[in-house]
Amino acid sequence: MTDTLTATATLAERLADVWAQLDERLAQVPVLRRLADGTVTLDDYRRLLFNLRQQVVDGTPWISRAASNFDIEHFDLRTAAIRHAEEEHRDYLMLERDYVAIGGSLAELRAGRKNVGSEALSGYMFHYADRPNPVGLLGAMFIIEGLGAKRAAGWAERFQEVLGLADTQVHFMRYHQEADSGHTGDLEAILNSGIIDDAAADEIVRCAQVVARLYALQLEELDN
Amino acid sequence: MGSTATAYLTGFGRYLPGDPVDNDGIVARLGGDDPVTERIRRRVLDANGIRQRHYALDEHGEPTELNEQLAVKALQAALDDRGIEASDLRMLACATTMGDVLVPGFASMVHGRLGGGPMQTLTASGVCASSLAALDAAVSKIRLGDHPRAAVVGSELSSRSLRQRRFDGIRAGMDSHFLRWMLSDGAGAVVVEFQPHPTKPSLRVDWVRQVSLAHEHDVCMRAGMRGAEPVVGHTWQDVSIADAEAAGMFVLRQDVSVLDELAEAGFGQFEELVDIGLVDVAHLDHVICHYSTNAFRDLAFDALRRRIPTLDTDRWYSNLETRGNTGSASIFIALDEAWRTGRFAPGETVLLAVPESGRFSFAFAHLTVVAPSDQQGAAA
Repeated sequence: MTDTLTATATLAERLADVWAQLDERLAQVPVLRRLADGTVTLDDYRRLLFNLRQQVVDGTPWISRAASNFDIEHFDLRTAAIRHAEEEHRDYLMLERDYVAIGGSLAELRAGRKNVGSEALSGYMFHYADRPNPVGLLGAMFIIEGLGAKRAAGWAERFQEVLGLADTQVHFMRYHQEADSGHTGDLEAILNSGIIDDAAADEIVRCAQVVARLYALQLEELDN
Repeated sequence: MGSTATAYLTGFGRYLPGDPVDNDGIVARLGGDDPVTERIRRRVLDANGIRQRHYALDEHGEPTELNEQLAVKALQAALDDRGIEASDLRMLACATTMGDVLVPGFASMVHGRLGGGPMQTLTASGVCASSLAALDAAVSKIRLGDHPRAAVVGSELSSRSLRQRRFDGIRAGMDSHFLRWMLSDGAGAVVVEFQPHPTKPSLRVDWVRQVSLAHEHDVCMRAGMRGAEPVVGHTWQDVSIADAEAAGMFVLRQDVSVLDELAEAGFGQFEELVDIGLVDVAHLDHVICHYSTNAFRDLAFDALRRRIPTLDTDRWYSNLETRGNTGSASIFIALDEAWRTGRFAPGETVLLAVPESGRFSFAFAHLTVVAPSDQQGAAA
């Protein structure tokens, strides 16, 4: 085994690769293409929020479940997961406020169901979080927090630009730029902390690949 | 950061109760057929130019509807025009001079009758300019993104208090007769949203401005106090109802001697809007100005034409002669009717102007016609 610096550098490169593939795929997602083209409609935004919400409410439960499956050898990860869950468990309320602020019905939103992509994503996350010491979930975090930190604010701005929305109508996406930047900072610290061995790195990359694909699927399968 | 949404008027409605009443039909509704009253009436009507108006009174002068019913009918018309339901609204801003009851607020009563779901309500009290004060509140909340949809209504049922029984045995001079033959009933409403109408043109609200000059003017239009000055212990709430009535406190009065001053102050406010660039005189296509009498129309038109030489009578819309002066409802009734004439084309601008004599208030709104999103090309 080489020194940890080289190992994490390799992991970072492998994750960057996964991110690049996700980026390419996102560029093909119809709603994001319309967003980029400036042809996106208010209905698109409403549908996007509706579809995201059904999965966002699951976020904290799977992080909490993961936290409960880290043993004392992984105490730092347990701490990080518990803290993360605490920070995010009200996020879906922000999304709900945005949905209502653009004229959506809270009752309908709450009565909604996950789309096939969200089902697959949530199912995978809960399944994975059930494992003992689910270190691979750091890969999931890399993708999900990365989307929040690097993409959500850009999406929010573009939605505002095209549809003339007030800040109070894009809270959820705007907020994630700040919050998730903080989270990705925490994540990098963990990835660089030396607790990730080669096997764990493989798990992280694999989990990132699956989550990237399922997240994009969720965006592709709006309402399905 | 700090982006706001844009507010659009997407639905328009009005309600005018009963059949139009011409000048000869007024007496049956309001009474006052003695020779003196008759003479004053003719004189006032000649000056104001109103040929017909509507009353929520039957031919015997008995009320046929409540003010809140007029408001709800105008709102329903605006909602139908937009193709939405009351349950789609999140805010209701209502303007009226006097509701049907003293308590609770007019907007609560209108909401109760209109139905729909939970919503924010606002009663903008005042006289004519309360209409745009209500609009301003709704537009601000839409811009903030606090609500996706609001409705605004101006509604008046002043005829009840203009009937002869209010004047019997009361010393009522020109200050009250002026309004008696001026005011009538009706309601006008608009729907405000943060997105334009998906398939029809909308009116973008560029700004709404309201200013009071009460700090430098005495009370002009009033009811409920003795004389022209409010005095502790001498308002209608301080004395017995019978005494208040005997003292003529329930008669609506206007100090007609200061109306020229009101007009001048209004032009001053308009000039200021031009000076600070809120009104671009090179690009003002339509003006809808609320005024109580044709005499003021000519003054107002001349004043505007001094600044906007290109403004011709075609760009000037008024329905005073056929709809009368319905106070806070007037500007929305006029906007609704102007909108339906098809005279507004995408890209054109519209100025709403409402002077209020109460204690000298003025309200303006600047609108731009926008095409529906599916037809938007160059128009940004």
